[in-house]
Amino acid sequence: MINVTETINPPVTLPDSTAPHSHRTEDSMKQLSTRLLACCLAIAAVPILNPKVVLAEPVSPIRTDQSAGDTVLPAPPISSRYAADSAKEVPDFQKHVMPLLGRLGCNGRACHGSFQGRGDFQLSLFGYDFSADHQALMAENTGRVDVDDVDESLILAKPTDADMHEGGKRFEKGQWQYRVLRNWIAAGAAFKQGQTQSLEKLEIQPAEIRFATDADQVSLTVIAHWADGSVEDVTPLCRFSSNDDSIAAIDETGLVRSGDTGDTHVIVYYDNAVAPVPVLQPLSPSKFDAQQSVADTTPTQPIDVLIQQKLDKLGITPSGLCTDAAFVRRAALDITGVLPSTERVEAFLADNATDKREQLINELLESPAYAAWWATRLSDWTGNNAEQLNNVLPVRNVGTKLWFQWLRSRLENNTPYDQIIEGIVTANTRQTDESYLDYCREMTLACNGDLDRFAQRDGMPLFWSRRNFQKPEERAIGFAYTFLGVRIECAQCHKHPFDQWSKQDFDDFSKLFAPIRSGNANQVSPESKETRDELMEKLTGGKKLNGGELRRAIYKAAETGVVVPFGELYVNTRGISDKAKKQRAAAKKKGNKLPPVRVPTGKILGIEQELELSEDPRPALMDWLRDESNPYFAKAIVNRVWSNYFGIGIVDPTDDMNLANPPSNAALLDHLAVEFIRHDFDLKWLHREITLSDAYQRSAATNASNALDRTNFARHIPRRLPAEVVFDMVALATGSTEKANQLRSELDEMAIADGKPRQRNQSNFALDVFGQSIRETNCDCDRSDAPSLLQSIYLRNDFEMYKRIADRDGWVAEACKDLGVAAPNAGQDPKANAKQRAADALRKQLVNRIKQFAKQPAARQDKQREKAEQQFDKATQRIADEFNVPTFASLVADPNSWNELEPVTSNKRRAKNGNADPASDKPGLERIVDQAYLRTLCRYPDDSESEIAMTYINESDSPSDGIEGLMWALVNTKEFIISH
Amino acid sequence: MKLHKTCDGLRRRDLLKVGTLAAGGLTLSGYNRLAAAGQVAPGHAQRAIFIELPGGPSHIDTFDLKPDAPDTHRGTFNPISTNVPGIQISEHLPKLASCMDKFVILRGVSHTLAAHRLGQEYVNTGSKPIPALEYPSYAAVVSKERPSDRDIPNAVAVPKASQGPGFLGIRYSPLETNAQPNFGQTFNVRGISLPGGIGIDEVKRRQSLLNKLDRRFTSLEKNDQLLDGLDQFGQQAYSMITSSRAREAFDISKEPESFARQFGEESFGQSCLLALRLVESGVRFVTVQLGGWDTHTDNFSKLKDNNLPKLDAGLSGLLTGLQQRGLLESTAVYVTGEFGRTPKINSRSSEGGRDHYPRCMFMLMAGGGVRGGQVIGESDDTASGPRHEGISPDDVAASFYHNLGIDPTLEYDSNTGRPITLVRDGNVINQLFA
Repeated sequence: MINVTETINPPVTLPDSTAPHSHRTEDSMKQLSTRLLACCLAIAAVPILNPKVVLAEPVSPIRTDQSAGDTVLPAPPISSRYAADSAKEVPDFQKHVMPLLGRLGCNGRACHGSFQGRGDFQLSLFGYDFSADHQALMAENTGRVDVDDVDESLILAKPTDADMHEGGKRFEKGQWQYRVLRNWIAAGAAFKQGQTQSLEKLEIQPAEIRFATDADQVSLTVIAHWADGSVEDVTPLCRFSSNDDSIAAIDETGLVRSGDTGDTHVIVYYDNAVAPVPVLQPLSPSKFDAQQSVADTTPTQPIDVLIQQKLDKLGITPSGLCTDAAFVRRAALDITGVLPSTERVEAFLADNATDKREQLINELLESPAYAAWWATRLSDWTGNNAEQLNNVLPVRNVGTKLWFQWLRSRLENNTPYDQIIEGIVTANTRQTDESYLDYCREMTLACNGDLDRFAQRDGMPLFWSRRNFQKPEERAIGFAYTFLGVRIECAQCHKHPFDQWSKQDFDDFSKLFAPIRSGNANQVSPESKETRDELMEKLTGGKKLNGGELRRAIYKAAETGVVVPFGELYVNTRGISDKAKKQRAAAKKKGNKLPPVRVPTGKILGIEQELELSEDPRPALMDWLRDESNPYFAKAIVNRVWSNYFGIGIVDPTDDMNLANPPSNAALLDHLAVEFIRHDFDLKWLHREITLSDAYQRSAATNASNALDRTNFARHIPRRLPAEVVFDMVALATGSTEKANQLRSELDEMAIADGKPRQRNQSNFALDVFGQSIRETNCDCDRSDAPSLLQSIYLRNDFEMYKRIADRDGWVAEACKDLGVAAPNAGQDPKANAKQRAADALRKQLVNRIKQFAKQPAARQDKQREKAEQQFDKATQRIADEFNVPTFASLVADPNSWNELEPVTSNKRRAKNGNADPASDKPGLERIVDQAYLRTLCRYPDDSESEIAMTYINESDSPSDGIEGLMWALVNTKEFIISH
Repeated sequence: MKLHKTCDGLRRRDLLKVGTLAAGGLTLSGYNRLAAAGQVAPGHAQRAIFIELPGGPSHIDTFDLKPDAPDTHRGTFNPISTNVPGIQISEHLPKLASCMDKFVILRGVSHTLAAHRLGQEYVNTGSKPIPALEYPSYAAVVSKERPSDRDIPNAVAVPKASQGPGFLGIRYSPLETNAQPNFGQTFNVRGISLPGGIGIDEVKRRQSLLNKLDRRFTSLEKNDQLLDGLDQFGQQAYSMITSSRAREAFDISKEPESFARQFGEESFGQSCLLALRLVESGVRFVTVQLGGWDTHTDNFSKLKDNNLPKLDAGLSGLLTGLQQRGLLESTAVYVTGEFGRTPKINSRSSEGGRDHYPRCMFMLMAGGGVRGGQVIGESDDTASGPRHEGISPDDVAASFYHNLGIDPTLEYDSNTGRPITLVRDGNVINQLFA
């Protein structure tokens, strides 16, 4: 029995969705062609179009002569229109003939879609190259289409197997397919060259399928709405596929059959549209016992409301919230990549404040490690790779550091995401009004170690200089990967099988990148040439040096601070390539007459209007990216950030947003993207919103309903921590308190802060084994979070691990000292030292931020003053008990006035320090075991664990052997290496 | 380490496909069952070496030459005779020509997936990729069906393997060496030897402490590939560390120089030597990669100067070496790329290149019950497709498993409880073993 119910939710209303947006350009939205919107609408339209009707069966054919009031009734399916021998209709090449050939499999890779064709007959792979396909069909002397002797046409004879066909019989002579092709040929086999018709919307009924049992089935009906106003049932012309046929199998006619419980999508393909239809089958109601983790709160935040709606449909109950110990570890590792200190864990556990999780999140977001860790992630996505930057700068091994620092300083200042990206996309090598000489001077200083000098520059042109980012096609692919989370490379050779992009779209998009020249250290804009030659002359003393000698001479000069020439990014807006220019000059010399120069053009993805390349196309690209109607830009980053916190994206893989790979929760992704834009691309807002949700704070413990779910955010799913995080965790857990605190506060040696920068051809062994991103192939899979045997071997038995655990500067040595005769404290308390260092780092950070603030125009300052002051006050709260803090206003007036920390000597402080350490009265060894647990697993051991550990230490040859063994065991637990 | 990059740049390492919530099984339909296993001769091999040629090697320039094809297709290489009368291969594979009696060339192997990743998934599993789940690599299946002793890895990949364990779970992943051995130099996988100062007894004590303390996630393990995999790797790491067997097996410098030299001095040849040592020491499955076959441009000079000499020396060394050690009869060898290359030469570079071409390709098989010195299958006049019915990757996979004594119709429950036939559509090629 068919049991399909319409399960469309009204759009979720979220508070304040009408706030005005200040800086979005109005008309750039209009530019978005109907074509792009058509395909997006095809999806968006799915839940809206048909709010009430339940359509479990195909709509019965409606004849075109029936009157239909206001709505245009769709023409009945082609299979019924051509059912009778007497059918006289002439089909359309784009709307009917090519889709039919596609449906029959003719243009598939195995058949005529192959790049060499088959039987000398080649069609464009997956279609949509109509003129090439028409040409191939009409090719003279092939007999494929014979308008004079229609029935002898091979496209009729072959698929009916009247003429031997390697691909076998595709249809019978009397069938509708035959008549469609025959009528088209008989009417002259027409195709209007250069007039691709545009499909406005693909409507699918039902828009969403909910199965009740594993024995249900339902047929899809697909209605095409064309821009010319015609509407047609095209079900027999579509191709169908399922994203998981164990849940929903779909056959070639669009009949969907139910299987396992769970949710997935079936995908419909027609013309250039690819449209997913959600299918789900809920679990039968679950029974829970006391062992299982079950949520007991009603969702209130938008994220949780939207997740709950999906879970309700599936019959899944989420797990309860995680413990404080799990939270402090999880939040610190996910937000900053840094394992929290023993002191921080203990303070958090002892804190009774009801909003302590929120406070912790805020604290973490304000810490320098946040900026460092996310600069590492942004470096992954933007492709910061030493190998690819080789010889781009005249100073070696500094490119990746400049890149990292540029990102880091912006994250530290919480520069809006779109502005960060603008600095990359529209990057120029010179600042506005900066001379070439000044530019070289600044860059020489920056490359000699003054990384901040580079970070303060507006643009980050290194992105454009990478060796694997030079050809226009490479740039099109890399640009789409980094900023859109889209893989368009398929369209480089043929129609994208899972998205609307045609080869033409790809080519038009690629052309935009052709005028941008960058990456060659010797290339400068024409106006800088003279100055460059002078600098070079000075360097070489006029001697002629070969390539290698010259490079070495420049390296050497730069090292000693001599200003050396740098390459420039410049945009060739003369509308003509250098090569063409030379040819023209040569032709002119010969006295040939020259045709006028044609200015090349390109197109932004999905935008019909051509962009003339007589000026730098990048500002227009940037306007398009940050426009609120851009379907990818905000979603791509929101989804990547989400994936960091949940181990799986809402769209997954995170770099593969396409129409056939829809989000597991579209409403959730839409909400986050829309709000992110409304909050002016505020990254910290995004992090806060996500980490404050119940969804993020759920326990890893499961219940009967969610144990097998991995895609709907109903519990915490343990994942192996990222390479850099693991690397640092080991150093922090095994290092002495002083060493660990120094690492945490200075960050310089931490892998999450680019402290182990990769140089050409060499990477750190452990980071490599744990799958650090190679940042090379435009793929988020360049990073691997999968475990491996080699990783286990490393943690158990690598000499680095033994050295760390037994190090003189390690925690085991420190613990031994604590246990033995108390070593005289040499006047300095390492904890106080560390605190001071951390506070000083904060001071520097704040001063920097205020300098940035003070640099802005007065009007902008006024606008931001209140927020900036609040942030300042909040940040300084943490150190105000211990140190004197100037007021915001005085600091803005003179940012340099706060150049060192002055300790407070008040009673307040003493009172605060009077709080007894809750564990300090424990006997020595027990306290050591506690410490070992806190610094690795961020929790106290339970009684039995404590007992086991102490017995082990007591039975060891010496306490130091015992403590070493305990530390070794703890860093080798699963609990250490995974998130929980 | 430099990995060979293919033109579409895809190397998805963490593909985990999920969606279904079902734990119980459902009845299987639609999968073809193979003919009863009793109809074919039993396999002999106890272990296997799988040589992957990622990028897709040209068939018409290597093992399926067409000297009479038009200039648009034939290419610049000439055929030479082998030590088996009537069989000819490329002039740039002279060493393999002299041991043709030890292996079989499969010609006219044919499929339809022309993207690197999809093609690799196909030829490395024997089942056409489907979106809902990922099939396991041969290495993973052999690790599961024929586990090695604890102190030696089930499977090793030198330096990496392109196919993961799929739904069988991370625990069946091979040990990836991440590095390749060099001629005459000691080779060791870092971390498998005990460093000075730590005794075996101490390691054992620590491990027993770890076993007692590592309990927090026990209840989640059965449903979680990650936790289960970590557990498995931990146990195995311990076994390997506490035994000398693994590190002895990895150290190719222990081989006599004259023996090592017949593999050639390139890293690929030495990786083959390592593979031989490893299987001799009890590793069940070794994957060796030789990349660089994605010759869209400059097809001929790349093959002649680089790829073919490496393949020729390494593979002939391996086959000869296996025989010298008496291992050939118990070691199944399978060599394949993900597809062939267009027989028609393109004009993308001065000398021309060849593009992806799954419709016609070659594969090589040797060892175990395979009778060397044959060509099975045939391509048409221009190597554009099989002359008769083509051989499918499924057939070759079924034969490979059969050679290893593993029933290719074996059924597994996937991680979601769905029953999956090991090789869906393959038939054992009896002629291989005849």
